Amino acid sequence: MTLRTHLYHALLWLVALLFFAPVAWIVLSSFKTATQILSVPPVLLFRPTLANYERVLSNPHILWGFLNSLLLSCSAVVIAVAVSFLAAFSFSRFKPRGTAFLMFLLLSIRMLPGSAAILPIYLMYVGLGWKDSYAGVILFYAMFSIPFSVWILKGFIDGVSVRFDETGLVNGAGWFRVIARLIFPQVMPGVIAALIFNFIFVWNEFLFNYIIGGPRTANIPVALATGLYSGGGVDWTFVSVVTTLYIIPPILVVFLFQRFLLVGMTFGTVRGEV
Amino acid sequence: MSEIVLRGVGRAFGATQAVQPTDFTFPDGSVTCLLGPSGCGKTTLMRMIAGLDTPTGGRILFDGRDVTGKPARDRDVAMVFQYPVMYRTLSVAENVELALRDDRRLSAAGRRARVDEVLEVMQLQDRRAAGIDALDVGTRQRVAVARAVARDCAVILFDEPTTNVEVHAKTQLIRAFKQFRARLRQTIIYVTHDQTEAMTLADRIALMRDGAITQCDAPHALYDRPESAFGGWFLGNPGMNFLEPRPQGGVARFDGFPSPFRLPDGDPEGLQLGIRPERILVGPAGALPVPAQVLRRAITVGGQYLLLLRAGSATLRARTPPRAPFAPGDTVSIECPISHAAFFRHGQRLVAQPRMTEDVHA
Repeated sequence: MTLRTHLYHALLWLVALLFFAPVAWIVLSSFKTATQILSVPPVLLFRPTLANYERVLSNPHILWGFLNSLLLSCSAVVIAVAVSFLAAFSFSRFKPRGTAFLMFLLLSIRMLPGSAAILPIYLMYVGLGWKDSYAGVILFYAMFSIPFSVWILKGFIDGVSVRFDETGLVNGAGWFRVIARLIFPQVMPGVIAALIFNFIFVWNEFLFNYIIGGPRTANIPVALATGLYSGGGVDWTFVSVVTTLYIIPPILVVFLFQRFLLVGMTFGTVRGEV
Repeated sequence: MSEIVLRGVGRAFGATQAVQPTDFTFPDGSVTCLLGPSGCGKTTLMRMIAGLDTPTGGRILFDGRDVTGKPARDRDVAMVFQYPVMYRTLSVAENVELALRDDRRLSAAGRRARVDEVLEVMQLQDRRAAGIDALDVGTRQRVAVARAVARDCAVILFDEPTTNVEVHAKTQLIRAFKQFRARLRQTIIYVTHDQTEAMTLADRIALMRDGAITQCDAPHALYDRPESAFGGWFLGNPGMNFLEPRPQGGVARFDGFPSPFRLPDGDPEGLQLGIRPERILVGPAGALPVPAQVLRRAITVGGQYLLLLRAGSATLRARTPPRAPFAPGDTVSIECPISHAAFFRHGQRLVAQPRMTEDVHA
């Protein structure tokens, strides 16, 4: 290797470490005692302790928050992607009257900042008695995830030639089979991409969970905010433990599906004629 | 094995009528080619028969059963497209077998036997384990035909299957087509814009133009007796020569013919005479009745020459045998046999043919 590539690598490492530093700090902090966390200069060598984890995980609110986060994210995302896939298929294949307008309308849901819709949504949820119900919160997140998913998936389905549909249809397959066996496997990267992006969105969501959720459906961000202050100040050990646990699922998801994500990003550039 | 009847079937896209309301019958077990230039509605017509498109009017009957609103899978049809679409991760045999999986009438052994049989007919036995990516487009197209044939449907539709296939593979495909044809008697509709292909494969050719079937007949009949000037022009390479009349009282004179013609109704309006290039006889100057000048000469298939001739004020194309000793600039003589001339009025063949007068100097 030349000096040039060495320098290049060194620079990359530097940037990576710079960005990783806050994450490293919070992860290391979760194994420190409260005094070690805030000591100046920071303690780099210390005897790690699991006491923080024991204390935080023995708190039923936090455990419940984790389960809620998983339940809300997974179910909302699965519902959203299932609905979006079928919607995108219809938009792509049957092109109903006003497809362009409907697609725009869908996107416009996301143009409004969430906080602008908070009051009407709150009133609606209270009026209908949906506040702090799992179905209510899940459907809200699904609704919020659908526009983006439809857009992604429509792009992918448009990329699959209608010839596949037609070949299937005239060779004895019904629509269900065409969708499930011919189209779905080919747009898998798009489906995975939609799943991941929406999962991360719902996983991170705080505002609506705080407003239309409640003690029963509180997710991790809300539990984190509620438990932030204790004993007259920020409970840093609590924050570091919850945050560390909180970033694991998204990292796992991206790590497991990165193969599909990469395919998703290059999709459309490497495909030949059918 | 099914007779297909169209009753007033038409298709409009907005204000454009892609297929005019059509009444037509595809007889049971026949091969009918839909032949016509691009955009004449032949593919649209076929897609409606396949169930991929819905007619905006009329009914489609398979053996008397109305299938107009039925989806493709309930019609007992198979179709081969311009582009072969298959599972790239599966082998040739698996691709063919896939469409048979849902067929409850077949046992696993029966399925394998069917696949073997079809692969043999399509001469694909030695490629049965090959992956799709390893095949060229022509071979893939043969796999697509095999897949369509294997399902043993009453009707098989071909939508310009050879358009994207190179010449050699095209011959193979046509040979394979004839072979499976010799064994199975399905009703076949074959869309093409290639007249040679239509002439080779069809029992009957339905000539289409502007969304309507203008004539349907056996290939040679269609070639020899086109009902319309369009048929004369479209079939043959090059198509018919068309001559305009020069009216003289009750008779009309055509360049290339020594005597004028007596018109049945005395009306030369919109009249045209058509004659095929290979029917025109060419000889040395003075040997035949009408003098002509050679303008251009082109060599065609089999060493034949295609001559561009001027006779009077008309230009004619004539096909001559190999080694015909005529060069551009030569003066030759020609004869257009009246038995091979066709008369059209406003593009339609005249029922009563004009007769040539005896008087050469009239």
